Amino acid sequence: MEALKLGERKEGKLDLTPEMADVCYTCTTCSSGCPISGVVPGWDARKAIRSIAMGLEQEVVDSKFPWVCTLCGRCQYACPQGVQLQKTFRGLRSLRERDKVPGPLHKGTIMNYERGNNLGIPKFDFLFLLAELGVELMEEDEEQPCPGFYVPVDKENANIIVTINSKEPFGEPEDMAFWWKIFYAAKEDWTVSSVNWEGVNWGLFTGDDENMKIQVERVLENARRLKAKTILYPE
Amino acid sequence: MRTWFPEAYEEFNIVSIYEVLVDYIKTGRIKINKEKFANHTVTLHHPCNYFRKSKAAFDKEYTEEYRYIVEQIFDKKNIIDMHPNALNNHCCGAGGGAWASPYSDERLTYGKVKADQIKATGAEIVVAPCHNCRDQIMKGLTPKFDMGNCKETLYLWEMVAQALIIEPWSEQEVKEAHALRDAQFERDGIDLDDDEY
Ligand code: SF4
Ligand code: SF4
Repeated sequence: MEALKLGERKEGKLDLTPEMADVCYTCTTCSSGCPISGVVPGWDARKAIRSIAMGLEQEVVDSKFPWVCTLCGRCQYACPQGVQLQKTFRGLRSLRERDKVPGPLHKGTIMNYERGNNLGIPKFDFLFLLAELGVELMEEDEEQPCPGFYVPVDKENANIIVTINSKEPFGEPEDMAFWWKIFYAAKEDWTVSSVNWEGVNWGLFTGDDENMKIQVERVLENARRLKAKTILYPE
Repeated sequence: MRTWFPEAYEEFNIVSIYEVLVDYIKTGRIKINKEKFANHTVTLHHPCNYFRKSKAAFDKEYTEEYRYIVEQIFDKKNIIDMHPNALNNHCCGAGGGAWASPYSDERLTYGKVKADQIKATGAEIVVAPCHNCRDQIMKGLTPKFDMGNCKETLYLWEMVAQALIIEPWSEQEVKEAHALRDAQFERDGIDLDDDEY
């Protein structure tokens, strides 16, 4: 590696100066409160920030660090100098080439873009499952029977519109019944959209602002189309 | 949402699960069976998203609302805090999509901190108001680490649902709901008696 010439710092793609690079005390408050320090050998939050400040941005982008960091924001919350660490680390993920995003997250993001949910569940399967579960899990529940329950799909003028976490319909369908029971007991006037109902925004994790925005826009579109008053905002 | 679509906040009432649950409880729309979890101890996991990140993004965090909901279900003396907690809480170790990333060893190493925190409380139940945290604690940490007394991981809304006193709707209400349901199934081409499925 070339020696660093500190006077002539390379301009990085992350717009971090001056509020970040030049104000960092190197105090280690960030890295000492972070469970991931040293788990990727050679990396921790402070070192990542210092590396970027010194123009070694690409090395951090190429490392595992921004992906093993959980973007929990604890470092940023504790930093005495207000360095935007978590925001910066998510920014590092954005700088990773899309086909080098680790794991299924980027695929899920694209799947969601194309089919309206991260797992690509077809519309009819989704609607059929909701219908069936409404009877099985709710009307026929032994301890807490809920006669009259069904999942109101595409109901106009409902009070609340909700999204669904795609891991639930096919992976853990009985978990959807928790909210259903609450809505039943509260006699809520609620609905779920038949399309683009995904509640998890993986673009947030992959640093994909464009797809993240599309996802948020869809939540709003559904609410507009169905004239809902309230949006129960997913995690 | 606030950055990209600020107008949405004028147009819709945008609420979190905490606000909905607090509202249902305060207005009496749902009733809680206090016996359900009597004599059980519980600890609260504070997900990064609803606390630190929400605080940073919207200047809003839900420490009080969260606590309020849990206090409607558990005796105050049975709620044991982890340390650190709330805005300083440690991440479950699966934030940022780590549950779906290939770095599972790192995810578990990180999560050990959470497992130790939970174990130290001695609580039997841990509440996780986030899908990701719940999966990490229940399916990642519990089988892998010694969690002490902690045997159960519950979503916040799962805990509420379990403690609900559900009064079945009146015959009239059921009839009306069934009519709406049948119309919807008809529109969507859904026939539950179809043997194909
Ligand atoms: S806590 Fe802030 S000031 Fe201290 S080393 Fe980390 S980034 Fe720098
Ligand atoms: S955001 Fe990343 S670096 Fe900062 S404390 Fe959390 S895991 Fe550590």
